Amino acid sequence: MPRRYPYTIATALFAIGIYFGLAVTVADQYLHADISLGLPVAARTLISVFSGLIAAVIWLTADDLKSSRRAHALILAGIVLMLIGTWFGLFVAPPEQFMGNVQRIMYVHVPTAWNGLLALTVAFACAIFYLFNGGWKWDARMEASIEVGVLLAFLLCCQGAIWAKPTWGVWWDWDPRLTTTAVLLFAFLGILALRKFVDDPVKRAVWSSVATIIAYVDVPIVYFSVRWWNSLHQLQSNPNTVSKPFWIPLRANAFGILFVMVGFIMLRARIAALRLETEMAPPPILSNEIGEQLGEAV
Amino acid sequence: MSAGVVTGGWNFVIAAYSITVAVLAIYGVTLITRLRAERLRASENGESR
Repeated sequence: MPRRYPYTIATALFAIGIYFGLAVTVADQYLHADISLGLPVAARTLISVFSGLIAAVIWLTADDLKSSRRAHALILAGIVLMLIGTWFGLFVAPPEQFMGNVQRIMYVHVPTAWNGLLALTVAFACAIFYLFNGGWKWDARMEASIEVGVLLAFLLCCQGAIWAKPTWGVWWDWDPRLTTTAVLLFAFLGILALRKFVDDPVKRAVWSSVATIIAYVDVPIVYFSVRWWNSLHQLQSNPNTVSKPFWIPLRANAFGILFVMVGFIMLRARIAALRLETEMAPPPILSNEIGEQLGEAV
Repeated sequence: MSAGVVTGGWNFVIAAYSITVAVLAIYGVTLITRLRAERLRASENGESR
């Protein structure tokens, strides 16, 4: 299969996701046109979410960690979508009935949460693939996904604190959702620290893969914490509980951050792969000797 | 806040969006600089071998 085919399929899936997730809503609200192809809201949401997820996975796994061009294109597309989402979120969407303008923080907070958990899920999958396959690309992708996941988890805590102050009256509370998210952030930060301290690439990859699988146990706990325990944090929303005018900024930012996240992981994986190449290359004197011996043999 | 409704709050909104843009932009720039440095190191090592 030519190398560009997976990217073509992934791009088509991204387009399908944006069509059903965003374009149908824009057409419905601003052009009063029905381009939903007769699909109900639940089906459109599912198609949008799964096509976006599958496209992200294809994009990440098809990446040969050599060229940065595709990552740059994805980041650029993500920035454009985030600009659209931010415009709608700040200037077009109406204030929420009880939270007023503060609710606009949700348009970046919620997509950051979704994509942060997704990045750590990618790291978990890479850890499993590395332990079963042993390919170095999986190790590089795992390192990249953890770093981007940690970045988004940090951002999530900052945005959450800024939202909590005017609505809950405090910047931070040891609520189950917030506590489990903080544990998640520090657990994966610890894995990044572990990778810095271990020089042997094989030990580093195996230990951090095992640690990633163990730390990932916290991801479903973070997600279900609001259902399992009595939490200040509200339950997960769905299209039935979110007013239509809020859909566009939320979805545009969700796709925007997804694109930026995938682009960041691709670039960061390239850095990890280059470092691995340098670490595992024979020392210059030895490689010269091997070269000379090969020359003599020929 | 009055009668269970949060009033104002634009400063919090601006802070949240600014932090998001700043963190993502700074991380993006560090990625590009780290990638350049790593490429340079890889090419120097390749030449020395």
